[in-house]
Amino acid sequence: MLSHSTADHEATQRPVLSVIVPFYNEEESIGPLYDAIVAAVAPLQVPFEMVFVDDGSKDGTLARGVQLAQRDSRVRMVKFRRNYGQTPAMAAGIEHARGDILVTMDGDLQNDPADIEQFLAKIAEGYDIVVGWRHRRQDKLITRKIPSKIANWLITRVTGVPITDNGCSLKAFRAAVIKSIPLYSEMHRFIPAMAWIAGPRIAEIRVRHHARQFGRSKYGLSRIYKVLIDLMVIKTIASFTARPLMWFGLLALMPLLLGLCAMGFGLVPAIAFGAHASLPLVGSGMIFVAAALFLLVGGVLGELVYRTGDVQQHRFAQLTMTASRKQLAP
Amino acid sequence: MNPSTAPSRISIIVPVGTRQSAAADLYADYKAALLSRGASVEFIFVLDGPQPAFERELERLAAAGEALTVIGLTRSFGEATALMVGFEHASGDVLVTLPAYSQIAPEGINALIDALEQSDLAVSHRHPRRGGWFEALRRRAFHTLLASLARVRFNDLGCSARAMHRKVLEEIPLYGDQQRFLPLLAERQGFRVREIAVPPSSLRAPSDQYRPRAYTRGLLDIFNVFFLVRFTKRPLRFFGMIGVALCSLGVLELLYLVFERLALNRSLADRPALLLGSLFVVLGLQVFALGLLGELIIFAHAGGIKDYQVDRVIHFPAAANEPAPTQASHTARPVAVS
Repeated sequence: MLSHSTADHEATQRPVLSVIVPFYNEEESIGPLYDAIVAAVAPLQVPFEMVFVDDGSKDGTLARGVQLAQRDSRVRMVKFRRNYGQTPAMAAGIEHARGDILVTMDGDLQNDPADIEQFLAKIAEGYDIVVGWRHRRQDKLITRKIPSKIANWLITRVTGVPITDNGCSLKAFRAAVIKSIPLYSEMHRFIPAMAWIAGPRIAEIRVRHHARQFGRSKYGLSRIYKVLIDLMVIKTIASFTARPLMWFGLLALMPLLLGLCAMGFGLVPAIAFGAHASLPLVGSGMIFVAAALFLLVGGVLGELVYRTGDVQQHRFAQLTMTASRKQLAP
Repeated sequence: MNPSTAPSRISIIVPVGTRQSAAADLYADYKAALLSRGASVEFIFVLDGPQPAFERELERLAAAGEALTVIGLTRSFGEATALMVGFEHASGDVLVTLPAYSQIAPEGINALIDALEQSDLAVSHRHPRRGGWFEALRRRAFHTLLASLARVRFNDLGCSARAMHRKVLEEIPLYGDQQRFLPLLAERQGFRVREIAVPPSSLRAPSDQYRPRAYTRGLLDIFNVFFLVRFTKRPLRFFGMIGVALCSLGVLELLYLVFERLALNRSLADRPALLLGSLFVVLGLQVFALGLLGELIIFAHAGGIKDYQVDRVIHFPAAANEPAPTQASHTARPVAVS
């Protein structure tokens, strides 16, 4: 599959801009969205392509996408074998996109392709990642907007990436930056936070947001729990990946101090005054000290994992350091 | 089966473990069933560990002019490994794995291969099953438990007669005893899996006993699958749950002890409960740290781990004379843009 797609990468002219849209059961939306993207981007005089990812839709999404691809060589349809979810769909779109600038958006017509122009302008200014902010969001208040507000506040507090609206899919990336960032599980909400490990210049712009025209929303309240766990993982990974030993060392500090204190309290009177040493106290101390040791060993293991892995800090640094600032004609 | 889409070549892989029937009878049965297809068939026997009697019989068959490949492993590596070794030597587009003892009626093989027209993997479900009520109950419990964990229901994972397209084994590396769970793994990988009811063999299978050890292994297998299908990508979701539960249990106990010490003036240092609380806290911390280590592994190797399987990329390159990138839009009606 992969070799096939790289083969026809060579065949056609390389576009500058790739618009990536994941679709899951959006048969009514795919046609109008295609029209809107073409209407918005074609006047910009930028060679572009559209990468549509069919995330295992059960309806006619794929058939309509194939029709579009037949008519227009700028459409590239990536078909998943089954439904995998939004993050894998985004990741696949990013993998198959050939442009220098990638724009991602939702397939449900809630984002407006007319905003792409602003994103390109921001990228041309030198930003690596431009994030949309749906400042007049057209969604249900209780089930969508309020949880999203809380999540965004939390994400900003924890990751320190000052973004108002992490849930907005309309984003633009310099391809070299986003292609180097591991994107898995349900990380699409945290792309800016994950990207932080590469030290990109992030900008935020206001975008238009439309109410859903067709189909049903694919989200509910249940995702909050997962957001919390993912958030913690990202925080620890993004801030400590390069130094697992240090991270585990910090984790080990607490039990070590606690253990030493407990042992001291138990043993000092026994040694100094020949009193009876308390077994539970000394025992607990030993347990905590042992735990600290275990964590330190875990940290060493972490160093090993990181060293043999394919995510290397210096590569990220080089990436943003040497990012070419291609000026686009407005 | 439609002759126009008949597979060009079928590879039969038979991993031979300790449970085995007479090689000559087995081979004759399988061959007779496949003869009617007219397709070219190759037989690959993988001896999982030394099986002198079986090997001698196969040699006798080979000497009699039967075309078969025999691969001998120096020790027993497990059925899944034997299967993968056989797969490496297989040249067919369609692979059929068959047990080394009479498990299903040989005619069932054809039903399995036929089912591949609408699916990537066809697994057999022996029906009607023989055996006592206790065995039936045990099987039902095992499969129900698995179904609830993996969210896909299969009824007879113990039956190793399966037919598949080559790509299934190319994408799913098996090891140890995982061949039983191939349908679950394939389903998860996005392959179309079908279960075909197949009549069981009329012959008596050799020593089909379930000793306590087999039960323990079955339970471990379930745990294994639980991990493989649910948490491989997110270790912290699993480890974190256990770790936080243990740790908070310990912290609660310690807090209670401290409360008793401060408010009720009960001595703290002499109570064994202190040990228990510390143990819980430490255990929770360690499990949690393991989960984080797992996340680190996933993150550090994320480039090599694919979260998705692309079926195909549909793209029609522009005709040579057409200026592709600046082609005018075909449709004049843009969506309402405010």
